[in-house]
Formats: sequence, C-alpha cells, structure tokens
Amino acid sequence: MTDTLQANGVSSARFWRVALYTTLIVFAVFYLLPLYVMLTTSFKSLAEIRQGNMLALPADWTIEPWLQAWGKACVGLTCEGINSYFWNSIKMVVPAVVITTVLGALNGYVLTKWRFTGHKWVFALMLFGCFIPFQIVLIPMSQVLGKLGIAGDTAGLVLVHTAYGIGFSTLFFRNYYEAFPSELVKAAMIDGAGFFGIFWRILLPSSGPIIVVTVIWLFTNIWNDFLFGASFAAGEGAPMTVALNNLVNSSTGVKEYNVHMAAAIIAALPTLLVYIVAGRYFVRGLMAGSVKG
Amino acid sequence: MSSLEIRGIQKSFSSTQVLKGIDISIDSGDFLVLVGPSGCGKSTLLNMIAGLDSITAGDIVIDGDVVNEVRPSQRDIAMVFQSYALYPNMSVAKNISFGLEMRKVPKDERNQRVASVAQMLQIEPLLDRKPSQLSGGQRQRVAMGRALVRDPKIFLFDEPLSNLDAKLRVDMRTEIKKLHQRVGNTIVYVTHDQVEAMTLATKIAVMKDGELQQLGSPDEVYNNPNNLFVASFMGSPSMNLLESRIIQQDGAPVVPVSLKSGEEIFLPLPQSPAYRKYLNKPVIIGLRPEAITDPGSAEQESSLLYSSSCQIDMIEPTGAELYAIMELNKQEVVSRMRASCGVQSGQTAEVIFNMEYAVLFDPETELRIS
Repeated sequence: MTDTLQANGVSSARFWRVALYTTLIVFAVFYLLPLYVMLTTSFKSLAEIRQGNMLALPADWTIEPWLQAWGKACVGLTCEGINSYFWNSIKMVVPAVVITTVLGALNGYVLTKWRFTGHKWVFALMLFGCFIPFQIVLIPMSQVLGKLGIAGDTAGLVLVHTAYGIGFSTLFFRNYYEAFPSELVKAAMIDGAGFFGIFWRILLPSSGPIIVVTVIWLFTNIWNDFLFGASFAAGEGAPMTVALNNLVNSSTGVKEYNVHMAAAIIAALPTLLVYIVAGRYFVRGLMAGSVKG
Repeated sequence: MSSLEIRGIQKSFSSTQVLKGIDISIDSGDFLVLVGPSGCGKSTLLNMIAGLDSITAGDIVIDGDVVNEVRPSQRDIAMVFQSYALYPNMSVAKNISFGLEMRKVPKDERNQRVASVAQMLQIEPLLDRKPSQLSGGQRQRVAMGRALVRDPKIFLFDEPLSNLDAKLRVDMRTEIKKLHQRVGNTIVYVTHDQVEAMTLATKIAVMKDGELQQLGSPDEVYNNPNNLFVASFMGSPSMNLLESRIIQQDGAPVVPVSLKSGEEIFLPLPQSPAYRKYLNKPVIIGLRPEAITDPGSAEQESSLLYSSSCQIDMIEPTGAELYAIMELNKQEVVSRMRASCGVQSGQTAEVIFNMEYAVLFDPETELRIS
C-alpha cells in the first residue's frame, strides 16, 4: 500500500521534472536561435546565404567573413575592418572600469567606516546620479569635454563613463561594506593601520564578490554603450558599438550579411568573456570566520 | 605596565548623555572590570579609553599623560573585541603580527614574538590556518595573542567571553586570570556578567545609566554595596531585599519581619550609630542568600546568629548546594543551604539568619545606611 503510494509519488515527481525541463529547454532553444543563425551565417559564403536556407548549417565552412570583418571591411570611408575600433573600446572600457571600481570602493569605505556629518546626503545624491537618463546630459557633457579639450577622444569617453558609473559602484560597495564588521576596522586602527592601510590590507582583500559584481556590471554597460560613443567620439576614435553600426548601416554596395554577423559576434565577445571568467571567481563565504559564529 | 586615570569623563550623542561624569583611577597592574547592565555606557567608556570614540568632556590619563587627542595606535593599548575581529583574509600568524608589521618591527623579531606568544597560548599548530577554520575558543585565543604580542601598556577587553559556550567561558576566564598573574599588565575589562567581574577583578566599577555606582575591590562591592542597585546587581542569586523598619528592643536595634505563618520575628542588627537616626523609620534590609542558611552551614563564630523555623516553599538543588525559597514579609526570599541538609518543600525547617552580613538601605535615597 505505502509502496504503491510512494511509487506514485516518485513517478508524478518524475513527470513534473520532465515537464519542467522540457519547458526550460524549449525556451533556451528559442533564446539561442538568433545566436545560432548569427554563427551559421558568419561561416557561410554570400552565395550560400542568397539561397535562403537561414537555419541550415553551412555547406562550405569558411572563415573568410571573420577575417574580412576584423581586417578589411569598410567602416565609413576606410576599409581596414573593425579591429582598430575594437581596441578603441578596450582602451575606453579598461581604464573606465578600473577607475570607477576603485573610486566606488573608496567611496563605499568612507561612507560606511569613516562617516562624516551629511554622509547620508552625499550618498543620496550619488544614488540620484544613477537615475539620470543619458540623453539629458549630452549637451552639458559635450560642453565640459570641449572645455577640457578631450572631446572626440577616448579619454573623454573614459571620463563620461566614470562619472556615470561611480553612482552604481558606490552603491554596490557601500551596501557591501555596510555589512562589513566595523570591529575589524577598529582592530586595525589600534594595530596602527592608517586610512589606506585598512583599505588595502583589510577591506579590499575581503571584497572579491562585490568587485566581480561591479566589474561585470560596469564592463557590460560601458562596452555596450552606443549613445555616448556616437555623441562624443566620432570617426577614428569611435568605439566598437558605433563602428558596428556604421558597418551594418552602410547603404552602398552589397549587404555582406556574413561579415556583419561575424562583426556583431566579435563585438559581443568581450562581455561574454567577462561573464565566463569573472563568474568563476564569484566566491562566496569570503567573510566566514572573521566574526562570531 | 601603567596606571590609568579617568577624570570626569562625559559622552553625549547629540542630545542624549551616555556618560555623566565618570571618575576612576587604577594603578599599574590592576585588573579593572567595568560591569553593568546593557546600555550603562561601559563599552562606550572602553572605546573612549581606546581612542575609538571621541570625548565630550573630561580626560583620559595614561601614565600621567592626557591622551584625549592621541590616536588609538599611538596610545600603546591593545584591545580584544567581543566578536574577536580577526582579519578574515590573513592567517593566524599574520593576524597576530599585523600590529607589529604596521609598527615596522623587523621581520625576524616579528616571527620570534609571534612564536613565543603562540607557545604561551598553545596555538602553535594553528598559525597557518585562516580564522574561518578555527573554533570559537581558538579564535578567542588568537584574538588574545594579537593583543599580547604587542606588549602594550594597557589591555582592553570588550566582553571577550560572551560568545563562548558556558564551559569554555569558565575555562577561558581562568586563563585570562592566569595570564594577568603572569604578565601583570594593567587590564580594563568590560562585561555584563557579575560572576566574571567578581572572579577576575582587582577592582570593580559598577555602572548604571552612565553613572559610576561604586568602585572597589570585589569584596567591598559584594559585601559593602553603596546602594540598592549595586546590592541587587552583584551576586547570584541576588540579594534578598525586604522592606521593614528599625525598632528598639531591650536597648538594641532590631528589624521586625513576618513569617509565612504570620508570626513576627525580630532580627538583631549590629550596633551602629547610623541606625539610631532611622529608629522607627522605614528601611530596606538586604540579606544575601548565604546569610540565611541551615544550622549546619552557619558561621558559628558570628555574634549575630538568629534562629527561627520557617516554612520552605520550594527547593532548587544545583548539585553542590541547594536554594530554598521561603516567604518573609510576603516576599519571596532565597536562602543558600548545603545540598545534604535535608530540607523539603512544604515542610518547616530551622533557618539561621546571620545578621552580621545584613546591610540596610534608605528606601528613598536607595543609599546604604552605615
């Protein structure tokens, strides 16, 4: 009696499990379909694409479209591929992410462990900064960049993204350090560590998870930004996103779908990589054992 | 080793006054315990001695120097925190040597000092571990090692045992006391546990609501409490406090107390000129549980023993001894007896009142009458 009940329970659990996984797989396939089309198209020749079998695997695999996208495709008037723009983006995103993360960590540290009168207001204003739409600041920002003499330059974009990202990175770090035991800071003070000593030796080594979160967030946002790139860095200095747009939207000549797809994947690759690499270091429980329990 | 003086220390957080002028002075080698209920300001006072909290008014003096404006790291103090506050990213050895490293002590000397402290605290096998791999008691030792290695003028302990389980707490308490006897440094120790205060201190400062209630040796605080608060706070089970009055009987002062049966007994008081002023006036009489006992455990040499038979309402055996609960003046009273004295709940037993240890308080001012 109980055995049959149990068997019924097991089989119905199995049914629901199968149903659940089927649904999940269907959705995953649906979601991955565009990527599949992009990948297959990027390995086909133009002639094969014209035959119209969008979902079919390439009959003749070719990496020619990738080489073209990287080194020969025409962006605007020059035909040297997207590689220089790719490096533009790297030159913009790396300093912006590093500076913003470090400043956010410092802000979070001061706002939680070295509180001053009005610290709540400062934090509230920084939070407010997170909610200002990009479009609003375009004109004032271009004036500022012009006065600083870094308009149309990668340095200008770094400044813009740092200014925008600092609100978020401060928010992340402040909330993380809020839960960081203040007694550790006090102990370090008595041990003779100074302001930066405590920061580098005590807080930062315990900040792994939040650094990863901040870096993923900032990297994705800054790499994928199109508006600031299109507004403040035209021509040679444009980042990847703008170049991709210029490549795909060119109205002259044949539409080289395979090259466009390859270029789009190249443009998406770094953010993908950051997720895969940094996600691994998303170590939990770094704080275990510092305080009671 | 150093003396510490706390002169008229006050602390206010915006409009609330947390410390209302504390004066404490201890000598080199003293073990001062700040004890009081939570919210009495004892931890704030400790933080002010450490330099982690600013001082609203008054002076902290270490070795004759006012250190109000001196940074925590320059005060030559070490602190053991309630949560241990071990650096999670560093090994035990690094945790202990961090303070030395910050003070630019050469590496060889650092290693040597860490080794000797580790040996003293028996944590040598743990030196390479991270704090997360340690048990509560081990973390506690490491936290003490971190303080010891610096050989500071003054040690500060902030409720260091409150996160340990009961057995370990007693063990560590003994070890802290041993440690003090061995190194002889000046120690300031904060706790809310009056047993810890009694066992460890050479001087106890009882605090309540930001005010110092009494400063004295454990013996003074226990046997000669300044006021009702100190009397009821120190000791477990706490002192029995009965409302009564002083009357004159055969030329000697006595206090009448009614038994459960309705019979009134007259407990004798020691001769004291102060009692004359309270003749026929209400007083509160304080009797420790051990001053009400069975005939076998009474101090026979005491000159003020009073014997009476009382009804025992309930007994609470603890193994080593037994608490008998009875009613005096319609109030519950706890007495401490030998476990083998044979009293039973619901029965009457002969009870000895040792009035030599009785203390009297003014019900209005709550101060001791003496």
